Parts: sequence; structure tokens; C-alpha cells
Amino acid sequence: MGQYQLGEFEELVLLTVGILYDEAYGVAIKNEMEQRLDRGVSVGALQTALQRLEKKGYLKSQEGAGTQERAGRPKRFYQLTAAGRNALAHSRETRESLWQAIPAAVWNLKTAQ
Amino acid sequence: MKEASPLPPRLPLRLFRAFCDPNLRIYIEGDLIELHQERVETLGKRKADLRFAWDVLLLFRPGIIRPLGFTPHLNHSAMYRNYFKIGFRNLLKYKTFSFINIFGLALAMSVSMLILMMLAEQTSSDQFHEKKDRIYRILSDHEGSRNQYATSPQPLAAELASYPSVEATTRLIPGIGGDAIFEDKTKGINGLFADPGFFRLFSFPLEYGDPASALTAPYSAIITKELATLLFRDESPLGKTIQLQDQRTRITDAKDSTQTVALDWGNFTVTGVIDRERYPSHLTFDILVSDSSMPSLITAGKLEDRREDWTYFFRTYTFALLQEGGSPEELNANLNDIVQRRAEEIKADHTKGFKMASQPLPDVALGIVNNDTSFRLPMFAYYFLIGLALAILASACLNYTNLSIARALTRAKEIGIRKVTGAFRKNLVAQFLSESVLTALLALAIASLLLLALIPFFKGLWVNQFLNLQLPFFPSLFLGFILLAVVVGLIAGIYPALFLSGYQPIKALKSLSETGGAGKLRLRKLLGVSQFVVSLFFITTSILIYNQFKHYMAFDYGFQSENIVNIQLQGLDYEKLRGEFERIPGVSTISACDIIPATGTNNNSQIRVLGEQSDYRSVGILHIDRNFPENLGIEMLAGSAFSANEQLAESQILVNEAMAKELGYPSADAMVGLQFESKWGGPLLTVAGVVKDFRYKLLLNEHAIAPLMLRYDPKQFQYVNVKIASPDLMQTLAELEGHWKKLDPVHSFSYQFLDEEIEATHRGLFDVVSILGFVSFLAIFIACLGLLGMTTYAAERKTKEVGIRKFLGADNFSITLLLSKGFLQMLALSIALGAPLSYFVNKLWLENLPNRVDFGLGTVLLGSLVLLALGVLTISSQTIRVARSKVADTLKVE
Repeated sequence: MGQYQLGEFEELVLLTVGILYDEAYGVAIKNEMEQRLDRGVSVGALQTALQRLEKKGYLKSQEGAGTQERAGRPKRFYQLTAAGRNALAHSRETRESLWQAIPAAVWNLKTAQ
Repeated sequence: MKEASPLPPRLPLRLFRAFCDPNLRIYIEGDLIELHQERVETLGKRKADLRFAWDVLLLFRPGIIRPLGFTPHLNHSAMYRNYFKIGFRNLLKYKTFSFINIFGLALAMSVSMLILMMLAEQTSSDQFHEKKDRIYRILSDHEGSRNQYATSPQPLAAELASYPSVEATTRLIPGIGGDAIFEDKTKGINGLFADPGFFRLFSFPLEYGDPASALTAPYSAIITKELATLLFRDESPLGKTIQLQDQRTRITDAKDSTQTVALDWGNFTVTGVIDRERYPSHLTFDILVSDSSMPSLITAGKLEDRREDWTYFFRTYTFALLQEGGSPEELNANLNDIVQRRAEEIKADHTKGFKMASQPLPDVALGIVNNDTSFRLPMFAYYFLIGLALAILASACLNYTNLSIARALTRAKEIGIRKVTGAFRKNLVAQFLSESVLTALLALAIASLLLLALIPFFKGLWVNQFLNLQLPFFPSLFLGFILLAVVVGLIAGIYPALFLSGYQPIKALKSLSETGGAGKLRLRKLLGVSQFVVSLFFITTSILIYNQFKHYMAFDYGFQSENIVNIQLQGLDYEKLRGEFERIPGVSTISACDIIPATGTNNNSQIRVLGEQSDYRSVGILHIDRNFPENLGIEMLAGSAFSANEQLAESQILVNEAMAKELGYPSADAMVGLQFESKWGGPLLTVAGVVKDFRYKLLLNEHAIAPLMLRYDPKQFQYVNVKIASPDLMQTLAELEGHWKKLDPVHSFSYQFLDEEIEATHRGLFDVVSILGFVSFLAIFIACLGLLGMTTYAAERKTKEVGIRKFLGADNFSITLLLSKGFLQMLALSIALGAPLSYFVNKLWLENLPNRVDFGLGTVLLGSLVLLALGVLTISSQTIRVARSKVADTLKVE
């Protein structure tokens, strides 16, 4: 994990930003996560994670236009950076290798306690 | 923006804007507003607003909050070090002022620390129960009661246990009071009957024995470690048999006569030992006896049978354990349900409007109600104490504020330089606050030493023998003390910090004139005056209460109390003891009674004149023997004393004048021969004589003497009153004890002098005097410290002026007057404001006190004089010193 520090929630946020591609701003990310993962996501937790990820260099952001629902406040769109994609890939590989390493016997219900 | 789109609630939005990092603000705000819009459509405005506020709260976290300070990445430690260094240097440079500030704060803080310790000890009880959050005590209440009762009907526990929301119940029944005997050792004990459910609720760890079975078998008992060590020394207590002898229980038989005898309850097997000292609880007991022992004790007539009595709710403590996730509302609903279903059985005269409620176990420590298990300080007493402590703390903080503003000049240059070199106002505020916190922390160190002296004083108070506070030191207190010091430092320092940091650098550097530095004179005077007004109020109040105390001590009770010894019968036969005592030469008269008059215990009886249809009236009752009136010097006004015929005497009563007056008889003689019937049956009572009124209730409880009847009933006697004629009291006492030992080798001779006992009833008031006196001492001391500081400073500043005046021919007196004038005016103003205030406020509460002392202007005048004397002394100590100094020295001062 050395170079890619990624918490579970952070990883989910990164993935969701990836899914939304060029529509990834605060409310959209929150709604997408809530829909897909069936869990509540507070604005506070999400924004903290976004700030942290941007600081780590996994995300970059740019300002978008404001809309009427937002009382004219601009949106801030997030995008995965190369480092972010690498971090995700790394995390997936690590997990994959861990999964592979589990002996088949574990999955055999009869022998499992 | 459309008209239709509602904006999010103002307050949370403003809060959010206040704390959010400006770089992120608009984006997150946009998100929040958009979400709010969505929610208004789906959930409605109210819910959306709530969710909005909740979101804002959740956003309050590092990463979102704006970084502190204006350059968050610089290391400020050097600057803070500098603040503390300057702070220390300032403390050392102005030693008088530092001393005044630190010592004043320390005095005030030590009192607050003591109260914190008391609170900490009291709330630490019952913290060890694993299920404490689910345990509830059941309280009873009826119409017209002043406070709820901690007790409930005995059958309640079983009934309540059948409800699904209740996991378990337990009931504790007091009623064990007597001696525990093992071989040759005897110890007086108090105890409770407990069922096996006790350990399902409470987690008292047993030193020995098994909680599951300790309380199941009849005649088993759990004792405290203290009792175990006393009875068995080092031997294992498990399985040992102790004999219980009941001393106090009164048994009511069919007729309305109660009797007191020592009853043998039989042998009990010790099945467990609890260390009560390590596990403090509001439940007090020396012994827990298994509930299952009750039936056989009841059958043997040794215990009252209240097992199915729903009307009697004065004896049993019921506790309920809620199911996991159960709510107290459910429990209360269950209790209401029981009251409704049992309405028929509960119905009685004294149970009108009967209802029950639950009290969470953690609230029990400070929530004291009637019939409680132990005597604890209720919450309002703490509010009172905290109020006193806050008054003193405020006074000490004012000193700090006052002196800091007064000495603003000494810091003006420093402030100017700091500002010129780039300090913002908030940096200066931080600096001055860190200084005041430093002062408060130093005060904390001294306060801790003062506290060590204060603790023995508190423990010596009379009231503590009931409170039994040990004041141990809890680690959490340490945190509390530090917090106290920091908060006190911040409060004391906030005004000077804001005031000093507001200086214009140019003015601060250029002009050192009077106008620039003397600070806000009017405000300082106001602060000083308020300190003295509060002090005056405290002084007057303590003098008043002390006078009241003296008034009570010198009160004419209407009977003689000198040289009378009251000896507890402890189950011994009165006639036998009397025969024994009469042989002692120093003894003059011997009489007996059931309760000692005017010491706090009263009994009542319900009687009415025979043949009348009116309601029974409640009158006080005292059971005495024939010698009692003569022994205490109670005068007979009419009729005669009790008849010599035993049977006749038991149907006779003596009444007091108040009774004659209340019944409307013009003269005492008319009462003699009148017959009364008692509500509880028994023989008709004939008035044999009328005695002069005497006090039989506490002075604090009763203003005018109420009707009383005296009955002759040897079965009731609890005390023997022995009047000692010989001048050598101690010698006669020793002889009395010797004769007692002959008749009762088991019980120790227990006596008390009547006059001392009556005096002791006012010890509580004396405690109030001590506490208030101490508080007023602190208040006036701190106020004088402040005054000392201000005069010292004023005198120093005017040294040169004094020199010139003297050079030009002014005499010492006129100079002293000149320097003192402002402060004397302040004192005069304080008295002008404080004297009427303390008069009227004290008048207000005194109105409600029975047998009050005269409270006139004299008390207020005395208080004002004390204040004035101390104030003038303080002022003149400084002004005279300066006025008398040599001209040459004063003129040299630069």
C-alpha cells in the first residue's frame, strides 16, 4: 500500500467520481453513492474526503457554472487524475491478490466451522 | 431567483459561512442549497430545514473549517513563549498586584474546588452497577404531598415484574434495626430485607459467597465487610451464624397500643460479604437479610405484615430493571396501569390522588425525596452553594479586571510597540488572556494548598456527620480544577484584554498623561461598589443568622432542661431501672417519656370531644409518667396530675393551654373532666389537668405552640429522665452507668443531657452561620484586597503631587483626605446601596421563619460599620503612608 494511501470511503468516492466522469460535483456524487451503495452520505464526510483526495493528488477540480437551484453558486467538478487511477488500480490488485491467496478450503462450507 | 424557491434557514447558513474555509465556501454552499431545494420538494420545508442544519453540523470538521490564524503554516511557539515570559516578568515586577490577584483568585477558587469535590463524591455513588442505565427507582406520590416518596407499596415489585417491558424487579424493605450477636461480640446494626432479584439489578461484587444463591434461603444474610471484621476478625465469615435481636421495631396488635421490647429474631447464616466502602451506593445497610425470612417472622408476630397492603407505601423501596431498549415512558405507563387496576385496594384516606413515577438510578444521587435511604445534599443545596461560590469568584475576577484596567498605563508602551511592529488586535487579546490564565493557574496551585486546610474545616461541620462525605480525590477532579482555573482566567482577563488591545498605537506611545492611562474610572468605581454591596449583604446576613442562632439558644422552652440526663431504655423495664437508680444519692427525680420534647421527633394523635360530630383534630401526643411534669418543671394550671391508680391513670390525659384555647374554653378549669375519643379506638380519655404551654416541637418548625396531650402509658417509655441534684455531675453519671451495667450487661449505657440535646437541634443553623460567615469573610477580604490594590496604585501615581503639595505647606491630614476622598465616596455609595438591599432581602426570607429574632436597623448598621471600618483601614494604610513620606524622597521619584 506504501505509496497509495486510500481509505475505504475515499476509494468509494474515487470510484464514484470515475463513474460520473464529467458530471462529478458534490450533490451528484452524493446522490450516486447513496443510490448505488444504499447508504447515507453526509455532505460533511463527502467534502472532507474530496478535499483530502485532491490534496493527495488523486483528484483535480475546476469551477463550473452556477444554476438556479444553487442560487447561482458555482459547481465544483472533480476529475480523476492519473495518480488517482493508479491508486484505484493498485487497490484493486492488492485485493485481487489477497482473494487469490485464500485457500479453497475456506470456501468449502462443510469443513468450515 | 424565482419567487417560489425557498432559501435555506438563515442561522445554520450563517454559522456555516462563519466557520467554513473561504476557498471552499461557495461550492459547498451551492451543494447545500441544491440539496435543500431537492428536499423541500420531497420531504417538505420543515424536514428540509432540519436536515440542512444537521448537514451544517456534520460539516464542522477539520478540512472544512477555516484554518486558524491568518498564516496557519508558521510556527507560533516562539511568540507564545514570549507571551508567557512577559507575563511572568510582569507578575514579578509588580509583586503587590500579583499577590492581590493571585491570592484573591486562590481563595475564591478553593471554595469552588471544595464544592466540586462534594459533587464529585456524591455523584460517584452507584456508578459500578453494570445495568445502571436501565435501573429505575419507583417513587410514590399522593395529593397534597410536598415531595415524592422514595418508597412504594410492598406488593408492587411482584406486580410490576409481570409486565413485558420490565426484565426484573427487586424490593428492599427496611425494618432491621437492632443487635447482631456472635459469641461474645455485639454490634448495633441497621439492615434491609432483599430478594434474590437484588443481584439481577445491582452489581455489588461479593467478597465471599455466590450472588446467585446468597439471598434465596430463609434466614440467610449478607453482611458488610466492616461488620464481618468486627464480628469474626480474621476468620472466614461464610457459613457463620449470627443472632439478630430487634430493638426498634414497633408491633401493632389489634388494639391501638404499640410496645417496644427487644425481640429475638433467631439465627441467621452469613452467605455473603459486601465491601461497602469500595462500592459507594445510596443504599445504606449493615446487613441484607433474605426476603424469604419474612413469612416466618411475620407468623411469629415479630414483623408487621404489609405484604398485600397497597395503601401503605412508606416502607418498601422498589427498583425495576427495564428490558434492553425499553423506555421509561413504558415503565411509567405500566405504573399508571397498576394504579388503575388496583384502585380499589389502594383507596384510603391518605392515598388520594396516588400515583407512581420512575426515577433513573443515575438521578438518585442528587434527587432526594421523602423517606430516602440516606441523607444526601439535594440539588438545590448545591445551587445555593454554587451561587455563593460564584459570588466570591466573580468578586475575585472583578479584582483582576479592575486592577488590570487601572494599571493600563504600565502596559501602554508595550502595546504601542507591539502594534507598530505588526501585532493585530487579536494577537494582543491572546497575549493578555494568556497572562490572565497564567495568573489563574498560579492561583490554582495556592488554592490547592488552601483546599487542604478547608477540607478538615468542612468535615468538622455538624451536618457532615449525616452527609458522611469523605472527600476523596478523583482523577477526573484534576481535569475539573484545571478547567475551572482556565475558565476563571479567561473571564477575569477578557475585559482588560479587549480594553488594552484597543489602544491607538500613536496615542499609546506618545501620551502618558492621566487621560490616556487611568482607564475607565467610572466603570472601575462601579465594579468596586458592586463588590462592596455584595460583601455588605453577606456580612449583614451572617450577623442576622448568628443573632437568630443566639435567639434560639436562649429561647424559653417553658420547661427546665438543666442537669437532666436522658437515658435510653433499650428495651429495659422502666420500673426496674427506676428502682435501681433511686438508690443513687445524687439523683433527685426520675421520670420517663417516649420522645424527648423539642428535639425534632413528634407524634400525633387524632381525637375529638366525646359526643361532637366534628372531624377528628390532630394533636401532638407525648407519653409520660407521673413524675415528668414535676421533673421538667412544667406548671399545672388546673386540675390534678395522673391518678395513683394505674388503670385510671391510663385513661387520663393532661392537655396544654393551647388545646383549651383551640377548643374555645375560656379558662383552663373548664377543660378538666372533659372526655375525648380517639380515632383509633381505645378507652375514652378524660382530661385530668391542664399544664402550662411548653415547646415540644422544634423552634424551626413551629411558630406558636400547638395543642398537645400528655398520656400516661408505661408501655411506650423509651427514655428515662434523671435529674441530678449533686454538684458532681460526672460522678453521678458514673454511678448511673454502674447501676445500668448491673441490669443490662449487653447494651452500653447511652445517655445525653437534655440541654445539650436541645442545643444540638440548632447545630444545623450554626453550620449555616459558619458557612455564611466564612463566605462573607472571603467576600470582604477579596473586596478589601481589590481596594488595597487600587489605593496603592493611586497613591503611587500621586507621589509627586503629594511632594509638591507638602512643599507648599499642606499638612498630612489634608493630603490623606485628598488621596482617600474618591475611595471613601465609593464606600459610602456601597453602603447607601447595600444597606437597604440587605435589609429588604433578609426581611423577605425572615418573614417565613418561625420564632424569628428582631431584625432592625441595628443589624444592618453593625454590618455597615464593619464594612466601613475595614474599608477605611485598607484605604488609610496606603494613603497615610504616602502622606507621611518625606518631601525630598517623593520629589525624587521619576
